[in-house]
Amino acid sequence: MDAITGWWDDFFWGSLVVVELFFVALIMTVLFGLIGAGAKLSNSRIAQNIAAGYTIVFRGTPEILVLLLFYFGSAIALTSIAQIFDPEVKFVDFPPFWAGSFAIALIIGSYATETFRGAFLGVDPGQIEAARALGLSNLQTFIYVRIPAMWRLALPPFGNHMLSLIKDTALVAIIGLEETLFVAEQAIATTAKPFTMYILVGLIYLGFSTVITLTVMVLEKYANRHLEVAR
Amino acid sequence: MSKADTQLMIELENVDKFFGSFQALKGVSLTVGKGEKVVVCGPSGSGKSTLIRCINRLEEHNSGKIVINGHELTSQVKDIDAVRREVGMVFQSFNLFPHLTVIENLMLAPRLVRKTSKNENRENAMRLLERVKIPDQAEKWPSQLSGGQQQRVAIARALCMNPEVILFDEPTSALDPEMISEVLDVMTDLAQEGMTMIVVTHEMGFARSVADKVVFMDEGEIVETGPPETFFDNPKSDRTKQFLEQILTH
Amino acid sequence: MSFDIDLIIDSIPKMLMGIGLTFQLLFLSLLLGTALAIILLIMRISGRWYLSWPTMAFIYIFRGTPILVQIFIIYYGFPQLEIIRESIFWPILKEPFGCAIVALTLNTGAYVSEIFRGGVLGVDRGLKEAGAALGLSVTQRFIYITSPIALRLCLPAYSNDVISLMKSTALASTITLLDMMGIARTIVAETYAPYEIFTSVMVIYLIITWIIQRTFGWIEKRMSRHIRKEA
Repeated sequence: MDAITGWWDDFFWGSLVVVELFFVALIMTVLFGLIGAGAKLSNSRIAQNIAAGYTIVFRGTPEILVLLLFYFGSAIALTSIAQIFDPEVKFVDFPPFWAGSFAIALIIGSYATETFRGAFLGVDPGQIEAARALGLSNLQTFIYVRIPAMWRLALPPFGNHMLSLIKDTALVAIIGLEETLFVAEQAIATTAKPFTMYILVGLIYLGFSTVITLTVMVLEKYANRHLEVAR
Repeated sequence: MSKADTQLMIELENVDKFFGSFQALKGVSLTVGKGEKVVVCGPSGSGKSTLIRCINRLEEHNSGKIVINGHELTSQVKDIDAVRREVGMVFQSFNLFPHLTVIENLMLAPRLVRKTSKNENRENAMRLLERVKIPDQAEKWPSQLSGGQQQRVAIARALCMNPEVILFDEPTSALDPEMISEVLDVMTDLAQEGMTMIVVTHEMGFARSVADKVVFMDEGEIVETGPPETFFDNPKSDRTKQFLEQILTH
Repeated sequence: MSFDIDLIIDSIPKMLMGIGLTFQLLFLSLLLGTALAIILLIMRISGRWYLSWPTMAFIYIFRGTPILVQIFIIYYGFPQLEIIRESIFWPILKEPFGCAIVALTLNTGAYVSEIFRGGVLGVDRGLKEAGAALGLSVTQRFIYITSPIALRLCLPAYSNDVISLMKSTALASTITLLDMMGIARTIVAETYAPYEIFTSVMVIYLIITWIIQRTFGWIEKRMSRHIRKEA
């Protein structure tokens, strides 16, 4: 256990990076999920097909592959663009934080697309009719009736997506992001205690997923509060 | 029974409605005057629900004209919105917003559509809850109320928008028998206060005592129209006679 | 940015050599993991706290931590511990293949047991009561009534998990195994052509995913045919 002393700081900062990555990716995930669901539910054949292609590709490809593809791919793209301006440029690095969060958001977003789509379809059409009969505009109906009804249905599966999200952040270490696994590797190099260090990383992630699970439980209770007291 | 004014509230002229190849409304023409109470009855599938749903554009009619309080109902959004502000609707399955309390259900549309101030909104809402005799349920969730109470809330919600006419789509069909009368009582009060109402229902007792005009529909057409005395005691068409026999003798 | 077709044509056969390892990882972990899942399920629903609590803890840990971390703990971490080095499992655990199988199996076991549990909970209570009324014992009811119905119910979730497992096999490449992903990364390191190589291997993974989905779709159809006939 003393092996860890001296490393607490680094693990703390590494965990912070994980938290940042999580929230950035989460926001993008919700965005991609809503856009994807919207495309799938729209009347445009093109939009539906693009969304279908999106979900197929990102649900069927290993996450590590997506990460590597994005990281190296964007580095190359950036390098090519940079070389247009300055032919001397050899290699432009793409920050792993953004490549990582973007890639993870694309992956989880493809699952969220299906979840949001199902949730939107599960909204009681009668409520939508009542809202329209009352004269609410499409936008107002969407915000005040559709979304509240839909997120109650989406919450349990979306909670799982958030768990997947936090666990996928570990993969970003592969493209060099200095988060917990990276710190662990440095610690192992000095202390030669791989088991201790990796268990610590495991515990950190276990802590994060516990927080997420508890948060989702609380949110679910809140979302369902009007149902629990049924006569 | 109130006298129908000469001012026309609703006018349907030769309205057709198709669902794919199935024709739900065949050349339907109907007028409803201000303050008039119209009961629409008929067997299932006769098009009565479709008829009133076309009036507030929950369904789009394919041909013919629908005019409400001077506004013609077209596919233009501002026409539709204008109509929906004048026309209230009460659904068979209540359709209360489950994630809002009773009073929030009432306050939502006036807040968003008419931009009513919070205080005025709440006062109106409470007044209407008193009118439908359940002011004490204001802070409850819809799921905590009985069916009859929920439907009364739904009526109050429709009233909150101050409509000129209210459409009722089989308002008591989903209720347990002992709760039907509490809802019909509220509707009768509404009628006596002069509201223009179109009610699709099987409750013939209500039709007899409240309606100015009874309309019988079958297979997408209006078969017969008439004041309740003539309609129930002296139906002209055979189809009407058949329907009344089935309805009244069970 | 050039797209080197020749490189792709050259590399595909090399990557397909890794497919054998990918499939070995997939099938072996699936088999062992499903078997483990059944054991865990029985322990979980046994009603005896000394069986169900450890099981719940196991599932909680394995679903709450990233697979990558689990793999690292087993491959890099275990050799640190003397007990492991002196145990009978050492021959398996000192090989990267063995470690990968162990990690994937334990992980799959945790996820699939929850899927099975969901299926079991989804069986209509009335059916079990009918079985009891007919005089069937608890075990008999479980084997002949609950299980067949539960299996059909959890088929979609199970097929999703198989696809997840397939994607997780790609992580074996991080501990030196030369499955498809491992070979792909090697080629990329030699040729600096990430786009071409990673995109091609992605296509291969997508084809495998498609095959898995079709297979399960067929199985589901066959299992539901009985239902439709009886109706």
